[in-house]
Amino acid sequence: MDTPVKPKPVPVVNPWAKPFWEAARENKLIIQQCKDCGTYIFYPRIACTNCFSDNLTWVPASGRGKVYTYTVVESYPPSAFIPDLPFVVAVVRLEEGVQMLSNIVGCDPHSVYCEMPVAVVFEKLNEEFTLPKFKPVEA
Amino acid sequence: MSKLKGKVAIIGIGEVPTGRFPETAAIYHAIASARLAIRDAGIQKDEIDYVMPTAALFSPQFNTELVTCRVAEELGLKNVKKNCQVFAGGSSSTCALEIAASLIHSGAANMILFVHADRLGTGVSAQGGIDLFSTAGISAEWEVPFGQHYSAIAAMSTMRYKYETGCTDEHISAVCVSNRKWAQLNPNAMFKKDLAIEEVMASKSLSTPLRVKHSNVLADGGAAFIVTSAERARAICERPVYLLGEGGVVTHFVFSQEPDVSRFGWAKAGRMAFEEAGLTPKDVDVAEIYDSYPIYQLIGFEELGFAERGQGGEMFLKGDTWPGGKIPTTTNGGMLSQGHTGAGGAVALMVETARQLMGKAGERQVQGARFAVETAVGGTYMDAQVTILGTEIP
Repeated sequence: MDTPVKPKPVPVVNPWAKPFWEAARENKLIIQQCKDCGTYIFYPRIACTNCFSDNLTWVPASGRGKVYTYTVVESYPPSAFIPDLPFVVAVVRLEEGVQMLSNIVGCDPHSVYCEMPVAVVFEKLNEEFTLPKFKPVEA
Repeated sequence: MSKLKGKVAIIGIGEVPTGRFPETAAIYHAIASARLAIRDAGIQKDEIDYVMPTAALFSPQFNTELVTCRVAEELGLKNVKKNCQVFAGGSSSTCALEIAASLIHSGAANMILFVHADRLGTGVSAQGGIDLFSTAGISAEWEVPFGQHYSAIAAMSTMRYKYETGCTDEHISAVCVSNRKWAQLNPNAMFKKDLAIEEVMASKSLSTPLRVKHSNVLADGGAAFIVTSAERARAICERPVYLLGEGGVVTHFVFSQEPDVSRFGWAKAGRMAFEEAGLTPKDVDVAEIYDSYPIYQLIGFEELGFAERGQGGEMFLKGDTWPGGKIPTTTNGGMLSQGHTGAGGAVALMVETARQLMGKAGERQVQGARFAVETAVGGTYMDAQVTILGTEIP
């Protein structure tokens, strides 16, 4: 029995994260930085996760980082992702030290490895959302 | 450190078989387990003054019934002062035991019934179960849109653990085999067929490096336990199971925010619990380590001090954790072999811990067990929880 293909889930956006998604739509990766203690923050918060200040600003992120860990999903994914099999889910550690979940694209899924250098690319999901994803790059 | 060491005890346990029971109503699993626990404790049902159900995931309607006192009414409990749900996902039983202990020690409650039931095996479709566990506890903004789900999460922990330790797929698979050996001695377990490492490693690829047989299977079931003061316990129970120590570390909500996905907070949580109990891992007769996927059982086992990091797999492989082994581990078969009933995974484990210490574990009884450690964790492995229980107060 074929499972009907569900539409891809879109991010359920918190109001204070809107600048992130607006930037992503323009193919820019931005993260927060605390103006009091300098800590880089991702995902967006209402206050600094280090010093608790709400004196936060948005800054461009390098978009470069390394694969902290990953998996190649080969079967039994959430139903909306069945057509994408196999695909890579990974935790990427950016040069700024923050971590984000994403997909590694533009390569053979089985060529991905822990500590692989990657850089951000943008994939349009629909008119409203563009997702930051990552592709392998030279170290 | 809490003031609860030796102040309260589990005096009764109840459990119905875990499996797929399409004809059985979820409430049956709850009230049958509760009734068994009350009988096991040897108390009158009306001595229960506090009912503490944890949450069911398969149906919001059924969960609301648990919240709105159905268990108390179905069992005809006449002296219940409060019915209040305690829920922390997979660590519910551990968190509830500490809350129950605090209520009893403070005098706010005398005899607490903790109960769980769920129908994740037959109350939701197979894909429905996957979809539930690709949204429950997973960030709708930062992870769901990327295809995140629980098998991928466990796979990413396994991948990093393998990278850091050099541990092999054979070591990971050995955890499944060890748990199956225990499940074969557990009448309430779902899976009892022989399981060989080769079979685990030859099963279909799930999310690399995990294969289908590295995954738990969702199931129906229920379990319950009764908590009272140590003083009262000694008066009515032959072998009360005392709470000796507890520790916990909340590390994250969003999985990708966890800085160490192959360790989490287990080491610190373990130190807290052992320090309070005044014991060390060497004193432990039974290690009831939460699984859900083999990697989490392996990490918990090592971080608590039962093996050096990266060496635990070898112990699972050569039988140290099996029936008759030097550190019997996850003796009900865990969620990998007894079955995954949602919050019930660690309820079953808590009940099994008490069962072993009470000497009621039948064929799989660890002879002379005095001290046991139990672990539990909820969400995307968000809160390492460790409890130490024993039949003596050291």
